[in-house]
Amino acid sequence: MLKEKNNALKESDEPDGLEQGRRDFLKHALTSSAAALVAAPAVVGASAEADNPDADITVAEYFQGHFLLMSDEEKKKSIARLEKRYSAQYKKKTTVSDVEAPDGVLFGYALDISKCIGCRRCVYACVKENNQSRHDPTVQWIQVMKMPKGNIAFSAENLDKGYPRKSEFGDYGVQVGGNAYKTAGLSTEDAQNYYNDDAVPDKDFFYMPVQCQQCEKPPCVKACPVRATFRDHAGVVLIDYNWCIGCRMCQLACPYHARRFNWGEPNLPAEEMNPKTHYFGNRPRMRGVMEKCTFCVQRTREGRDPACMEACPVGARKFGNLLDPESDVRKVLATKRVFRFKEEYGTYPKFFYYIG
Amino acid sequence: MKEENSRRSFFKRVAAAVGMVAAAAGTKTLISRSIDSNDGASEKYAADVAAQEKAVKANQLVVMTDEEKQQRIDDLLNFHRQEIA
Repeated sequence: MLKEKNNALKESDEPDGLEQGRRDFLKHALTSSAAALVAAPAVVGASAEADNPDADITVAEYFQGHFLLMSDEEKKKSIARLEKRYSAQYKKKTTVSDVEAPDGVLFGYALDISKCIGCRRCVYACVKENNQSRHDPTVQWIQVMKMPKGNIAFSAENLDKGYPRKSEFGDYGVQVGGNAYKTAGLSTEDAQNYYNDDAVPDKDFFYMPVQCQQCEKPPCVKACPVRATFRDHAGVVLIDYNWCIGCRMCQLACPYHARRFNWGEPNLPAEEMNPKTHYFGNRPRMRGVMEKCTFCVQRTREGRDPACMEACPVGARKFGNLLDPESDVRKVLATKRVFRFKEEYGTYPKFFYYIG
Repeated sequence: MKEENSRRSFFKRVAAAVGMVAAAAGTKTLISRSIDSNDGASEKYAADVAAQEKAVKANQLVVMTDEEKQQRIDDLLNFHRQEIA
């Protein structure tokens, strides 16, 4: 009996016993790892599934590349994933278009500040069309500035009364006389964004809606470290929301601060969601990505006008093709008093303010 | 003796697996607590809007002369042609 016990002890002290222990340990580790691998996605995906009916789609999205660099097949898959997810999430058939910009077009915009009445209908139309977060946070791509009328520091009547006058050698601008001793322009001092008037327009003020200037030389595009934001061949600056890393460099680079960052999870009620979307335009965005005015890419790429322009009750907004001399924008540039920002930083905005 | 051992090792495995899952869940909760929180989002958004207002106030609109307008159109069209080319 004692001999047997001693033998057993001896056996357990032998290298075989050690090997057994190591094997057991490895077995335990493998079992635990396998269990964790099986369980972890379920745990991690549990909350995602509460918001997102198909968590796998989200995982696939993490691994997709820049939309512009995808093959046609990859684009199709990506669009199908988004349509499936949005349709389930918002409980309505949602389409995500990837229609390309038309050829032979350079989009430009003009806004008549003498006509704008500050009603903010353009703001609300933009929010509705572009699926912006409704509250907490509220995201708006257009801000309407209210400014005292005294800020216009030039007289249209005096504009051509300066010296030297126009000659066959050209118009050298106002130098003496006319508006020479005043700032020939419009001061934005005392501008206020959060006005809450009972009735508009206030007769002592004028209104200036501000939005992305769609620069021809956009500094935001240069600043983006991953090329998530880019300029399409129709001159519109767009963002691949899935490629954006949320570093906000573009926001810092924009001299007009026209970009909006999704600080929180966007709050878009299903009943208010616009189901006709574009990949680079109004499809629902996620937290942590940048967004901005796209000239309603989902509309303009199909030959329609931007929502803000359609909503304007006084026709203060003009949109068109800068390559076409007969377009509204070109006509405005040819015939109206057009302003430019004093400090443009060489960005060449394609959004013009004018007085009709 | 062997039976007891195998039962013990089974319970050990179960305990280890449960421990791993609990750890994963705990880590996920910790991470998502900070990610899912919308705290201060409205204030941050308002700060972005205020920055835009400040940028507009600091700037000024000046009237373009006819030459300037023509120059602008020419520049825009040239840049566009270069981009397309």
